[in-house]
This record gives sequence, C-alpha cells and structure tokens, in this order.
Amino acid sequence: MKTKLFAVATAGLLLTAVAGCASTTAPNAGAVPAVKAPLPAGVQDPAVIPSAAADGDTGCDPRSSLRPPSPMPAPNQMPAGSSMADIAKRGHLTVGVDQNTYLFGYRDAVSGQVVGFDIDTAKLVAQAIFGNANQIKFVAITSAQRIPFIQNGTVDIVADSMTITCERLQQVEFSTDYFDAGQKILVSKGSPYHTIDDLAGKKVCAAAGTTSIVTIATRPSHPIPVAVNDWTDCLVMLQQGQVQAVSTDDNILAGLAAQDPNVEVVGPRFTDEPHGLAIKKTSTDFVRFVNGVLDQARSDGTWAQLYDKWLGGPAPAPPASKYSG
Amino acid sequence: MALLSPTRSAPASSAPTRSAPTRTPAGRSASLATRLTARTGSTPGRLTVLMLALAALAIAAGLAAVIGVMQRSSEVDSIINRSGPLTLDSQELYRSLSDADAVAASAFLSNGQEPAALRQRYESDLAAASAALTSATAGDPGQSAVQEISAQLPVYAGLVETARTYNRLNLPVGAAYLREASALMRNDLLVAAKRLYQAETARFDADAGAASGFPWLAIPLAVLTLAGLGYAQVHLTRRTNRLLNVGLAGATAMGLAALIWLGASWVGVRGELSSAQRDGSAQVQLLARARIDALQARADEALTLVARGNGANFDSDYGAMLNDLIGKDGNGGLLQQAGAAATDPAVRAAANSAAGAARSWKSTHQKVDGADTAGDYSGAVKLTIGDDPASSASTFNSLDKDLATGIAATSAQLNRHARSASDALDAAPIGLSALTVLLLVGMVFGFQQRIAEYR
Repeated sequence: MKTKLFAVATAGLLLTAVAGCASTTAPNAGAVPAVKAPLPAGVQDPAVIPSAAADGDTGCDPRSSLRPPSPMPAPNQMPAGSSMADIAKRGHLTVGVDQNTYLFGYRDAVSGQVVGFDIDTAKLVAQAIFGNANQIKFVAITSAQRIPFIQNGTVDIVADSMTITCERLQQVEFSTDYFDAGQKILVSKGSPYHTIDDLAGKKVCAAAGTTSIVTIATRPSHPIPVAVNDWTDCLVMLQQGQVQAVSTDDNILAGLAAQDPNVEVVGPRFTDEPHGLAIKKTSTDFVRFVNGVLDQARSDGTWAQLYDKWLGGPAPAPPASKYSG
Repeated sequence: MALLSPTRSAPASSAPTRSAPTRTPAGRSASLATRLTARTGSTPGRLTVLMLALAALAIAAGLAAVIGVMQRSSEVDSIINRSGPLTLDSQELYRSLSDADAVAASAFLSNGQEPAALRQRYESDLAAASAALTSATAGDPGQSAVQEISAQLPVYAGLVETARTYNRLNLPVGAAYLREASALMRNDLLVAAKRLYQAETARFDADAGAASGFPWLAIPLAVLTLAGLGYAQVHLTRRTNRLLNVGLAGATAMGLAALIWLGASWVGVRGELSSAQRDGSAQVQLLARARIDALQARADEALTLVARGNGANFDSDYGAMLNDLIGKDGNGGLLQQAGAAATDPAVRAAANSAAGAARSWKSTHQKVDGADTAGDYSGAVKLTIGDDPASSASTFNSLDKDLATGIAATSAQLNRHARSASDALDAAPIGLSALTVLLLVGMVFGFQQRIAEYR
C-alpha cells in the first residue's frame, strides 16, 4: 500500500515537472490543438425557430378532401380541358420529391433512381393518366421549396411525406391522407431517453423549415432544437454524439433507424401527421382524380403491397378517405 | 556599425601597425596617441592623421559593402531555398485539398462503385497535401494554419471513408457524411490553407523587398571615402606642386570601381527580383487563384448533384466561381487578367486556352442544370462525370491542365530570375574585399611617399 502511494506521488511529481517544462518551452511545441467536431453544412445549433403561425382556422379538418369523379376516366382518356389532359399532352407527370428520406423517397446508389413509398404512390398517378407508371419525372426539392414549386407549376404533385395542416391548406390543396404518421423520437439503443419529455435541456435534431422543429421547440420539457438541411444530417449528428435524439414523423425515423442498427425509434406518438399529396389549389379536378387513384389503391390491395414492400408487413389498414364536397 | 563582425575588424588594427615603424623613430614604449599628439603640429603629422582617418573610412566602407552584399546574397538565397519553395508548397497544399474535395464528390456520383482513377486521384491528393504540410511545418512550425490543417485532415479523410462505406451499402446517410466532409473542407481546411498561402506569399514579397533594398550604409561611406581621397589629392597637389600621386590615384580608381560594382549589383538584383515578382510570383498568384476557383467550382458542380434538392447553395457558389474566373460575359475575370499580365507567350496561350475551356464548361454546366431540373438525373450525372469530350469532366480537366502548364512556366520564370539575382552577387564579396585592400595599399603607398619627403 505504501509503495503504491509512493508510486502515485512520484508519478504526480513527474507529471507536474513535465507540465512545468512544457509551459516554459515554446508555446507551440507539443501543444495539442483543440479540435472542434465537424458539423453538417448549414446546421443551426440552437435552431432559429420560425414564429409558429397561429392556427387561426380552427374549423379545418386536415383529413377531409375533394370527392373523386365517378366514374374515373380511363388511362389515356382524360376529359378535354382538364388538368390531367394538360399533363397527358406533355407526356409525363412531374413530381417534387426528397431524395434523402430513406424508404419513402431516396436515391438508390446502385441504379441512380429515386425510389421509395412516396415515389411508388406518385407512380400510381402516372399509371392512371398514361397507363404507364414510367411516364414520370422526379425533381428533387427541399422542404422549403414544396409549396412554392406547386404554386408556380414547376411540379404537378409533391410526394414528400408532407403533413396536411390547416395552414398549408390555405396555400395548396391536398389529396386524402395516404399515410398516417406521428412525431416520435429516435435515440441510440440503451439511451436513458424514452419520450420527448425525457429530453429536457438536451439537443434534439430535426430538418429546418419543418413542423417537427417547431414542435420540439414548443414542448413543455424544453429540449434544445438543432436544425439541419436533411434528415440524414440528423442521423450523422446522432451517430457522432452531437445530439441526443432526432424527432420527427415516425415514418422518417423508421427510415433513419433502418440505416443504423444501433439506433431505435421509441416512445408514443405525440403529434398526429396525416400525409397527403400536395397539388395546386386551382387544380381541383386533378385533386379529385388523385383521390380516385388513392381510393382504388386502398380497396384493391395496392396500398398494402406498397407498405409491405417498403416498410415490411403486416400492413395495417390504410388510412380511411374522408370527403367534404 | 552593428554590421561589423569581429573577424572583419582585424584589418582595421593592422593598417596603422603596418605603417607605424616607417615613421616612428621613437621608442616602442611611446604610445601611438602620444606620438600622434606630438606630430599633429607638423605637416607629416597632419598627413598621417589624414591617412589614418581615410584608412578607417575606407575600411568601414569596405566592410559595409562586403557585409551588405553577403546579407543581400543570403536574402536572395532564402527566396530561392525557403520562401519561394514554401510559397509553392502552400499553393500545392491549397490545390491538393481543393482537388480532394472535388474528386471525392465526383466519385460519389458514380453509383456506389467509384472509378479506380478517381479513387487514385483522391489518394494522391491527400498524399500531396500531407507532403506539402510536412514541408510547411518544417519551414514554419508556428503557423496556426499548419496546425489546424494537420489536426483536421485525418478527420476529413475519416468522414469521406464513412461516406464511401455508406454509399456502397446504398444508404442515403452516406451523402450526409460527404456533405459534412465537404463542409469541413470548405469552412476550415481550405480557409486555413488560404491563410497559409497568403502568409507565405507575403513573406516572399517581404524577402524580395529586403533583398532589393538600397545599400544605405555602404554607398554613402564609399562616396565619403572617395571625397576624402579627392580632398587629399587636391591638398597634396597644392603643397607639393606635383600633379599626380600614383598611389592615391590608384586608390581612387579602386574606390570608384568598388562604388560602381556595389551600385550595379544592387540595380541588377533589384531588377531580377522585380522581374521575378512581375513575371513570376504575381502571375503565379493569378493563375493559382484561378486554379483554386476552378477546383471549387468542380466540387460545387458534383455536390449540387450529390445534395440534390438541397444543392442550391452549391449551384450559386458554382456561378460565383465561374464569374471570378471568366467574368459575367465570359471575357473577363482572373483568366483575362492572367492573359493580359503574361510576359511569356506560352503562359498567355495557356491562360487564353483555359478561358476557352471555362466558357465551354459553363455552357455544359447549364445543360447539367437543365437536365437535373427537368428530372433527368442520370443525364445530369453523365454530363458531369462522363468522359465525353463535351462533358463537364473533360472541359474541367483541360482547364485544370492549362492552368497547371501556366503555373509551371511562371514558376520557372520566378526561379530563373531569382537565380540570376543570386548569380549577380556571387563574385561581389571577394571582389569588393580585394578592391578595398588594393585601395588601402594604394593610399598608404601614396601618403608614405609624401611623408617620407619630410624626413
């Protein structure tokens, strides 16, 4: 015991001596420069939260959309003068998508094509117009570009895990709910965090300009929101230990979890996020047509097939369609 | 007088001792001072004092001249051996880091299996960066930029490898790692490399400025010596009515020769170094800036496609880089400046050819943009990294090659001029020393002849 104490004391003295020497030599000799952790481009830590527009329109029902025509026009026989006839004349449907949401819309590195659940859903619309699902062009867009690109006609449809909200319904029209999601959290396996309320004062990542980042910032537990450009940037920061959790719609989280077996989606849904295909506000005939396409997919089992293909079975019942006008 | 080294002051004390025995019949115990005081009243005494004063002046002038040219020579050598190579090394560091960024992004677009050639280029870029960093460290270890790059380069390489692995697994998080790597490169590594490059360039200019400085000590002393010799000759002619004193006339000729040599070597060095700056380093800097801009634009182009959707920032950066290179109308920018400043026809041709390549690259890039916006992603990728002669990859490569040619040619000019400057100084220390000694011998001989006549 005494020898051990002596050794410790000697080591301590030596260390002090070495430290003393180091401080007397040139300031740069042997000094280890402080390394700052690399960060994704455009990260905001903490995030600047857009002032959440107060949801004035309380009478709105996000799940309610326009009733489909009956009967639906057959492929290649779009009614003259309709929005679909314009698309048919052009020869392809233009769809705004994200290429970074694994399983829903992402670029397959081997084929170079954008694939996923959202992509296949958009292809159903092309199939219904042309009788050919491949007469379609995908344009990669950011979350912030979704509404302006619909409004200025750059794309016919946005299929990008887009949540139907009353605020957005004032700017664009949505199809019926084709995928039900809700916000959850993604954490490292074995972490002490099980719900968003466990993350008081901890850093939680989401993409900038999404409803998720606002939700994180306004939780009563006050997590610190960290905003990035893409969802995959959140996974990088979680893997590098720069954030403690990622929080957004559970379908996006499932896509992130599928890329790393060391992370998991936990806790209950604390928001309700119906996803719809966004369409120009004035193209009501196209909204009705798309709703008809979705209804068919719900009833003939196509929706369940897509669910199995991308998310693994067994598929739950598809979200019910709801119409008002 | 701090310039005088102790060893060089030896002749100063030997001159009086050499002449002392010829005019001191007094005992050895009498001190020089006493003897001088005793003799100053007489003409020989006054002549001796004048001779000693002139000898001291001549020795001081000679020492100032010799030490001055030796210093100048070592400053020129430091340009050749230190600040010149360090400037090139820091430029190579900057270039190889930018190239790594561009190549990593291009390789990423190639569907998971990156082409071996791109992989090799990325690896040799990292090797070149490490080598340049090593010599930069050896040259100037205190640079914070060097430490920053040394610390972050392995982190960068790690992120790129993670990105590659995920990309091969076909997982989109790979693109996120690549974007993070590129952000680290652009926001930290390249900023530090630029800082280092600017510091080395400034040091080169400072060395060139120091080596071109006017010999403020040696030339006035030499002129003063000559004036003293002139005065002595006029004085002696009046006293003795002899027109020519061979010794003093010879000493004056030696002094004039030394003055001319000193002035000519200064003018020569200054001329060569200003040519080195004008034909060399100023042009190298323009071309090097153009090359770095081109590399960054190349990385931007690939990252626009890697970051699809969120690539708007990269795309606007591409536009800014191209504007920098060839101006908004395609006929201005750095490449136009480099062409106009070129003194070597080969360099001018390289700059013009680079500008042409940049123009066709810009138009190909517009096609890439169009294809991507219209949803033709594979077409956009093919235009960007394909080996078609009209592809971005091909036009960029010829642009890069032209700039490399121009930089090599101007660097050679720089070196040539710096070596000429060094050559101009080669014989100066020995020559000036010899002239000083001959001047002293002639002067002492001339004075002694007259002093002896009083005995």
